[in-house]
Amino acid sequence: MLRDELIGFAKSKVMIVLWVVLPLIAMAGYLLLPKEITEARGLGGLSATAFVGFLMSSVAGTVAALMVAVDLVSERNRKVYELFVIRPMRREVIIWSKFLAVFACVTVACLVSLGLGIAVDAFRGNAPRGDEYYDIGKSLLSLIGVVALSCSVGVVFGVMSRTILVAVILILYVGQNLTIVPMLPVYLGWLPDHFWLVMLITATMTGLLVLAASVMFRRAEL
Amino acid sequence: MAALVQIENVRKKFYAQVVLDNLSLEIREGEVFGYIGPNGAGKTTTLKILAGLITKFEGTVRVAGNDVVKDRSKAHAVIGFMPQSCGFQSWRTVQSALDSLAELSGVPEALRKQRIPALLERFKLLDARFKKVKELSGGMTQKLGLIQALLHEPKLLVLDEPLEGLDPPSRNLLKEIIRERQHAGTTVLFSSHILSDVDDVADRIGILNRGTIATSGSIRELVTDFGLPLEVEVDFATTPADPGFLAELGTATERRPGEWRIRLADGTASDPVIHTAIERTLAGGGKIRKIGLVKPDLDDLFAQYIERGHVN
Repeated sequence: MLRDELIGFAKSKVMIVLWVVLPLIAMAGYLLLPKEITEARGLGGLSATAFVGFLMSSVAGTVAALMVAVDLVSERNRKVYELFVIRPMRREVIIWSKFLAVFACVTVACLVSLGLGIAVDAFRGNAPRGDEYYDIGKSLLSLIGVVALSCSVGVVFGVMSRTILVAVILILYVGQNLTIVPMLPVYLGWLPDHFWLVMLITATMTGLLVLAASVMFRRAEL
Repeated sequence: MAALVQIENVRKKFYAQVVLDNLSLEIREGEVFGYIGPNGAGKTTTLKILAGLITKFEGTVRVAGNDVVKDRSKAHAVIGFMPQSCGFQSWRTVQSALDSLAELSGVPEALRKQRIPALLERFKLLDARFKKVKELSGGMTQKLGLIQALLHEPKLLVLDEPLEGLDPPSRNLLKEIIRERQHAGTTVLFSSHILSDVDDVADRIGILNRGTIATSGSIRELVTDFGLPLEVEVDFATTPADPGFLAELGTATERRPGEWRIRLADGTASDPVIHTAIERTLAGGGKIRKIGLVKPDLDDLFAQYIERGHVN
């Protein structure tokens, strides 16, 4: 099931946009930036890696949540799941497969974009140094955490909503705010400001949300 | 024969509306059961409960002794279900859609490689096997829905309006397949509005009305039990000068020009009526192409049910 979902998403036009078109547009956008912004490296200048990182962090989560929710609602409305759930399989498998497939595909998109950013920086003679790689790694991990959490929010709203419009509205107005929840305990001073702690909260929330979506889907009448 | 499907006192409500009201029904192993009833009677709801798409209801439903809610996997391993409208993942080809569904049903790869092309060939879809599912016409998608239900050669085949949207050759093919499966020991439960087709293949029928079984049995039994009036059909090659005499023989209706049906009053024997009709036609200068007793069929039975207010 997961393999099939991965193939399905990988073949979709959205993924072509995310894997190819978006990184290329990001690079084009970066190359069009004024030199004062891009070349003042070390003095607040913007590297291609950082530019792509900002861009992906602002769109990847929303894209992931929308992709999974729209897919769930549309397949449910087209009665695709009827042919799955009448077979001797657990309904939860559908939800987990969908979540993992979108999460994997969007993560690959982030990696491709970031890799392209690093390549452009290297080509321009501004390749990141050792300690910068560590920061890039942490940013990437944070980004993957946001993607995972957004995907889980998308799965919940996808299972709950009967129409694509409702799912999209819920994601845009509620889902985006939910992705900052893991950082709230740190902002509010309840927990120490520790990167791995935030990641742990993100992973736990993600797991719980997908679990909740699975239970809802198991009980749903199709 | 033992009962393969046991539906006991099933009650299902959608909000305030009772869709199934203490429905009880048994379907015996190896029989073809036609499930008919007016729109909104609860046919699809019953089939969806059997297939596990609806899980919240009162009562018990067992397939091959397994409760469809508590032993879902065991019950569903023996069911092949074709919903009223089938949806497939739009990015898939015909071949890949069937392959993945058969795999989920536990059909080994070697068998899938044999069965999928064989069934596609039978339904004249082999040329479309590498087409995307979204490119198929409504009728072709309907056929694909049937094929997916047959792939794992289930013990119980549940078909919701399977003949809807199929062209006549495909309908005949489906009826042929139903008969074949029955000979192979499969039990078939199907709903349909096309009563002549139900008449063709069903061993027994159940008429559902307002969420409960109004009656069930073999078509012949029901026709006899219900005491359907006999009718004589007269097809004139040349209509006699005054065909008004037909009204003296019973309730006469001209269905098409020159084609009459005479409904006989209770207890009237048909032979004297046929003789009189022939004599009076010839005397009136008419000629008869065809005359005979019409045996009531499922259409007549259902029409009578509606007429007498048993079904609404």
